[in-house]
Amino acid sequence: MKYEQLAKDIISNVGGKENVSSVVHCITRLRFKLKDESKANTDALKKMDDVVTVMKSGGQYQVVIGNHVPDVYKTVVAVGGFEGAGQVDQDEDHGEKQNLFNRFIDIISNIFTPVLGLLAATGIIKGLNALFLALGWLENTDGTYLLLNAIGDGFFVFLPIFLGYTAMKKFGGTPFLGMAIAAALVHPSLVGIKAGESIMTVFSGTLFESPVQITFLGIPVILMSYTSSVIPIILATFFAAKVEKRLAKVVPAVVKSFGVPFLTLIAIVPLTFLIIGPVATWIANSLGQGASFIYEAAPLVAGLILGALWQVLVIFGVHWGLIPIYYNNLAVNGFDTLIAMTIPASFAQIGAVLGVLILTKNQKLKSLSIPAFISGLFGVTEPAIYGITLPLKRPFIMSCIAAGVGGAIMAISGAALYSAGPLGIFKIPTFIHPENGIDAGFWGMIVSLLVAFGLGLVLTLLFGGVNKNAETAETEEKNEEILSPIKGEVVSLSMVPDQLFASETMGRGVGIVPTEGRAVSPVNGVVTTLFKTKHAIGITSENGIEILIHIGMDTVQLDGKHFTAHVNQGDKVNVGDLLVEFDIEKIKAAGYQIETPIIITNSENYGEIESTNKKNVKEKDLLMKTSLVNPLENDKAS
Amino acid sequence: MEKSFKVIAETGIHARPATLLVQAASKFDSEVHLQYKEKKVNLKSIMGVMSLGIGQGADITIIAEGSDEADALNTIEETLKREGLAE
Repeated sequence: MKYEQLAKDIISNVGGKENVSSVVHCITRLRFKLKDESKANTDALKKMDDVVTVMKSGGQYQVVIGNHVPDVYKTVVAVGGFEGAGQVDQDEDHGEKQNLFNRFIDIISNIFTPVLGLLAATGIIKGLNALFLALGWLENTDGTYLLLNAIGDGFFVFLPIFLGYTAMKKFGGTPFLGMAIAAALVHPSLVGIKAGESIMTVFSGTLFESPVQITFLGIPVILMSYTSSVIPIILATFFAAKVEKRLAKVVPAVVKSFGVPFLTLIAIVPLTFLIIGPVATWIANSLGQGASFIYEAAPLVAGLILGALWQVLVIFGVHWGLIPIYYNNLAVNGFDTLIAMTIPASFAQIGAVLGVLILTKNQKLKSLSIPAFISGLFGVTEPAIYGITLPLKRPFIMSCIAAGVGGAIMAISGAALYSAGPLGIFKIPTFIHPENGIDAGFWGMIVSLLVAFGLGLVLTLLFGGVNKNAETAETEEKNEEILSPIKGEVVSLSMVPDQLFASETMGRGVGIVPTEGRAVSPVNGVVTTLFKTKHAIGITSENGIEILIHIGMDTVQLDGKHFTAHVNQGDKVNVGDLLVEFDIEKIKAAGYQIETPIIITNSENYGEIESTNKKNVKEKDLLMKTSLVNPLENDKAS
Repeated sequence: MEKSFKVIAETGIHARPATLLVQAASKFDSEVHLQYKEKKVNLKSIMGVMSLGIGQGADITIIAEGSDEADALNTIEETLKREGLAE
């Protein structure tokens, strides 16, 4: 065993195996419960090469090993014979157990959370506009259509810019920098060039053969369409946030404010174009060729695979590898059977969304499901995917299975698309044979779509696991209300006249301009901090939300004057218990502003924090609500 | 790695300095703790730091451990000195 000596040394230095009552591990540490900590030789352990350090907390004697701790743990358990008592603590290992797939989905869901409302709204505008077009109420040259289309589609075309903000924030970088990167990716001048003449072709005659329209410092750039894409900007911001953090440490303070974004942009944007463009292009092209190849050999298999994977391909933005084949098929043969197999996928999606809508008791999910269903019916499936099925995971998998079955039926039914047309239900008329009219293939298509829809619905109802999800979400939401501690006028945090609060550096929250000089507890919890100056009170709720009430600006200078505390640090408090009284007039007369930020200082743990839209609040009115506990937090369990 | 400081700021480490310290510590992968008297808190938590109620004249110890512990400790020291919080 690789770590045998290490394990033996660790065990002897914690006082021998007799001294160990149990051992578990987390991501970096062995966590011992020792019968007698004084028997452990901490200094000797700390000096060992493979031990980072030793920490004692919470009754645990923790030996920090590093990321390879699972292997060391196994050896320690084997050497010490701790099997029974030494099982891995399930809860603490939650983060570690999250597989890559789940983490990936969690990241995407998190990044979409702040824009879900917009996504549903623009999706439905796009969908309705398609309906008006299909019904003949509008022509696609009408100003009304064009304007509505701009409203509905603008968000989708420039989606990377919005995601640039939320993703960069998620990765701990400067959100506006993420937007700037995305803006460069979707810049109209490059989109125009992509459509234009190519100047050369690289990797001719291979699978990687790609046209090149521009070069960057002599390096060929294989362009792809970044508009409406999701993954490229997430990857770009992931690395940009890392680069930004590194640069922030080395760039001199004098030039930091422009130097860090300057260097980050110069590094990340060209790299994104040089790496992501070609990789995505090659994947897309291979997919297109692979799909045609499989279809030639076994249509049923092609339908099954393409149907099931279509939405996944869309998420990665590589689905457009099939589009040129589709247009070529239409132009050369007058019909296409390849893209036809992907049409059931959106119907499977809305089936799954309907399943979620029926099952869930969660208001928020319900209110998103309805627009997601309607826009999905008209072929705009993004709200359904990113707002509902993907975050819940299982409904997404169910919809992929349903889409696969639908795709297989489509493939063997002989159904074909005879013209390029709109999406969703409006795609149906394009299956009508131009000469034979409604033929057997058309009915095959109808069966395929109904099966995809029905199966998506039924599978979600049976195996979607929505009930469980919805219930936990609901109890969480109920428990995470923060009531107003102070009577007064609600102002946005950005209006608070102190950059530290206004910039959300301390956390998200709201400001209150008090009209009555008393603050009560906004939650049931414990007073975690009460400075001797009594101007700032921190409370940690029973559920772990940390709330800071900072009465007035710079009022630390008053050194407690005009403030009367009614609780002590460490006291348990209930909603509405009086915490502090303060004299508004005297504080103002002393030259201080009275704006009082109410900050959730650990807001990075929460996906979304909603504030009241009331202008004035009384004590104990609903002030803020946190929802969607950030699943990524589990990663920090160690 | 650890280093001790004496708090010189007249108003101690209240909301603003706590935030600046947390900001500085959060840039690093290392675990960073602040010890004051018998209590040790995570220097990446604003509420944790504030809960200590560190006043003028207090002796505090910053403990950093991890891959970038030296950088972390330097940056925090720089912040403490630049803001006139401790020496």
